[in-house]
Amino acid sequence: MPSPPRRPVSRRRLLQASALALPGAWALAACAREQPLSGPTGGGSSAGGSASGGATSAPAELQIASPTNPVKWPINPGNEPIASGLEPEANATLRLYNYPDYLDKAVIKDFQKEYADYNVKVEYSTFNDYPEALTKIRSGSIPYDVTFMSYNYMARLVYGDLIRPLNHEYIPNIADVWEEFQNPWYDQEWQYTVPYVIYTTGIGWRADLIPEDIGARPNPYDVFWDSKYAGEIAVLDDDREVIGMTILRDGGTDVNTADPATLGAARDAMLEMLSLSQPRVTISGYTDIPEGVLSLSQCWSGDMITGQSYMPEGVDPSVLRYWSPPDGRGLVNSDFLCVLKGGENPVLAHHFLNYMLDSDVSLKNFSWVGYQPPLRSLTPDSMVADGYIPENLAGAVVKPEWFEVGYPVLELPPEVEAEYQAIWQQFKAGA
Amino acid sequence: MGDRSTRFLWPILGLPAMVWIALFFLIPLYVVFCVAFGTVDPIFRSPVPIWNPLEWQFTQVEVVWDRLFGPDNFYLPAVLRTLLYVAIAVVACLIIAFPVAYFTARYAGNYRGLVLALLVAPFFISYMMRMLAWINLLQPDGLVNTIITLGGVVPLDINWLSGNPYVVVMGLIYGYVPYMLLPLFAALDRISPSLIEAARDLGASGFDLFRRVILPMSLPGIVAGTLLISLPMMGDYFTSDLLSKSPNTAMIGNLINLSIVAPGQAGQAGTLLILVLLVLLIPMVLYTRSNARAEVRS
Repeated sequence: MPSPPRRPVSRRRLLQASALALPGAWALAACAREQPLSGPTGGGSSAGGSASGGATSAPAELQIASPTNPVKWPINPGNEPIASGLEPEANATLRLYNYPDYLDKAVIKDFQKEYADYNVKVEYSTFNDYPEALTKIRSGSIPYDVTFMSYNYMARLVYGDLIRPLNHEYIPNIADVWEEFQNPWYDQEWQYTVPYVIYTTGIGWRADLIPEDIGARPNPYDVFWDSKYAGEIAVLDDDREVIGMTILRDGGTDVNTADPATLGAARDAMLEMLSLSQPRVTISGYTDIPEGVLSLSQCWSGDMITGQSYMPEGVDPSVLRYWSPPDGRGLVNSDFLCVLKGGENPVLAHHFLNYMLDSDVSLKNFSWVGYQPPLRSLTPDSMVADGYIPENLAGAVVKPEWFEVGYPVLELPPEVEAEYQAIWQQFKAGA
Repeated sequence: MGDRSTRFLWPILGLPAMVWIALFFLIPLYVVFCVAFGTVDPIFRSPVPIWNPLEWQFTQVEVVWDRLFGPDNFYLPAVLRTLLYVAIAVVACLIIAFPVAYFTARYAGNYRGLVLALLVAPFFISYMMRMLAWINLLQPDGLVNTIITLGGVVPLDINWLSGNPYVVVMGLIYGYVPYMLLPLFAALDRISPSLIEAARDLGASGFDLFRRVILPMSLPGIVAGTLLISLPMMGDYFTSDLLSKSPNTAMIGNLINLSIVAPGQAGQAGTLLILVLLVLLIPMVLYTRSNARAEVRS
């Protein structure tokens, strides 16, 4: 739709008038000096235009890591790694900050037992999504020691001086990790992070509620545009996952695109999805699908594995299905663990990272959270045969070679992220 | 001496409330304004409030205005949807609550206290818990479907929780009906029985009695109840979040909630909040004015 000529001045008058209508201090707003109008381009946020008002003296742009542009992050002065050979802090409370249900509580208990000599207590706090986590970590109100993050926040974590570089001597277990994760593109020489789990984004469903084999469709993503399943399905409550999936469905491959045409087409397709299949927007597919509240949902590979333990009585877990592109050309990502600078127990935090990379611990955690760690001892080809994953969920195994061909969700420049947010907001407003 | 002490007594007694309002309403409201008219951190996209009103910027307001009334007005459907849901819910609450309140006020006799206590009982359980209970009832294999299908005999497969607008409105009605009941009861209770008898003696039919005596005299209760429930309903987001989770039932509250959690959009959340506040202020002012006038008259 062509936009009619704007008349910003009269509109501002109107706004000022409405500000005047309020008592007290806001009356002053009317006297506000004339601001040059930095027209927000649909994206809404004034990220670009507001630099002058910003509190931070930011560089023009964030450095963004990608498989084709591996980054070795700087170590800011005053943020050197801890010295070698230190004893873990005694009587400490190790504060973990993570998604809910994303770490086995039994593993935490084991860690406390293992470090009983130091009288260690572990506190597990949760966030709903990364933006919330980043805000709380930046506020510094709670001295979290360790957090679980994704690389699409890496530049901001380093830039904001929020994480602590690692002293590798405390983390010998890194040797058990897949080679590509010992020098990942998002953190060359693993200066700040150790890998946690790897996952694909795909489609999960209950075969007894959805009689067709979704994976056999010419384009399985089309199921979200199929009015046959209206009211029974959901997409993830995550802007990047849904926009990325829509781009892939329409034949694109750049899920981090800044191209307005591609993003505009994705937005239109998402609005079409709303009217056709009326999806719910939630990340609770790992309980909703087993319970039959949803028949099918976009979900992460770990969701259906962990979903087996949420089956209602009388329903066989073998009805669960998971599909992601079998050639790995879908959304393939990984999360990492890092030590926060604001934490009070950096040595213990290093020990915890090392503990989580231990093969036995990692396997125990995997069997509970359903998300696969990139461990040498866990061969993807034999995971079904070894009984880690049932036959019906074989599609949820993540293969190492997929990291060569899959599409990672990368960090975006702030102004591009604003575009994604605007699309997401329009989608969620149901317009 | 006595005069002086009472002159200070009442302001001193009012002080805690004043401090309370300043600390927990006025100052937070000012912060909302500073965020709404502030800027955004260019890297983290977190809100950077501008504390000095002279430097307030209106870029965020422009964005919200555009999304409401501009060419790309995708906020508008949610706003209209909210108004529609609230209107239906208010009318339904009135229809449900009025007879109950009338019965309690006029005919409950000795059981009045008990009936009132039972009516207020839902207050003791939090709104959130009551909505969670509905999720259980409305699940595909929940009690509601079991009853409707007579235990699975009738082949009906209704998924209530699939983003159904009727379920959201039902949730609103269920959640807010007690708040409508109490003001209605108070108003109906105040109607003197002799007025009703007088109307009857003068030949008023049942309908006339209702239309010309009871309804006008219970109007303050109706207005109070309507305000009392429509104000929180306007900002309600968790009814839609819990019972639907679908964008197709998103309300203004959901827009605000979404803007708060999305990076870089706290200012828009603040602006939306101010807009809702401004719109809701109008009926509040009208109500207090009409109340004040009624008091002067009496």
